[in-house]
Amino acid sequence: MEVIKIIGVAFIALIIVIIIKQHRPEFAIYVSIIAGAIILFLVLDKLTGIINLIQNLANKSNINSQYLGLLLKITGIAFLSEFAVSICQDAGEGAIATKVEIGSKIIIIAISIPIISRLLEVIINILPN
Amino acid sequence: MDISLLFRIAAIGILVAVLYQVLVRAGREDQAMMTTLAGLIIVLTMVIKEISTLFNTVRTIFNL
Repeated sequence: MEVIKIIGVAFIALIIVIIIKQHRPEFAIYVSIIAGAIILFLVLDKLTGIINLIQNLANKSNINSQYLGLLLKITGIAFLSEFAVSICQDAGEGAIATKVEIGSKIIIIAISIPIISRLLEVIINILPN
Repeated sequence: MDISLLFRIAAIGILVAVLYQVLVRAGREDQAMMTTLAGLIIVLTMVIKEISTLFNTVRTIFNL
């Protein structure tokens, strides 16, 4: 049922963007940003359900919750930066889009440093020295 | 965060486009530019409000 709402919002925004693009191209970008935000809001509550399920499963199988927190952080960063990158590309500004992408990748790597170091320790312990 | 926001922005956009044409025909290009900028700023404030609510919700969900 939600899909129909999402598709409806997308088509309405598409028509509005086409109408406005001829006269005032600046407003077309605003309409696409707001349409993206509305569609994301439609699915955000389902996303919280998924995340709670993942956390419950992780707690049951006693995975270290610190790593799960990091994983969630990384997906959140990817989620937001993808939102910005697609809007910048849509507006024709590929350079800005790649800069945002590079920045978010660097932040993700910076955040995942503890995981990487922990992994290297485990590998080193396994290796016969 | 509902669809009416989309229509509000479209209405402001079309209004500014019409005003721009009318003012340009009347020979007042500078005022036409002013109205376009004013319309842009109004819509910018609305968009920024919505984007900040979106970013805050996503931040609380992923506890960024």
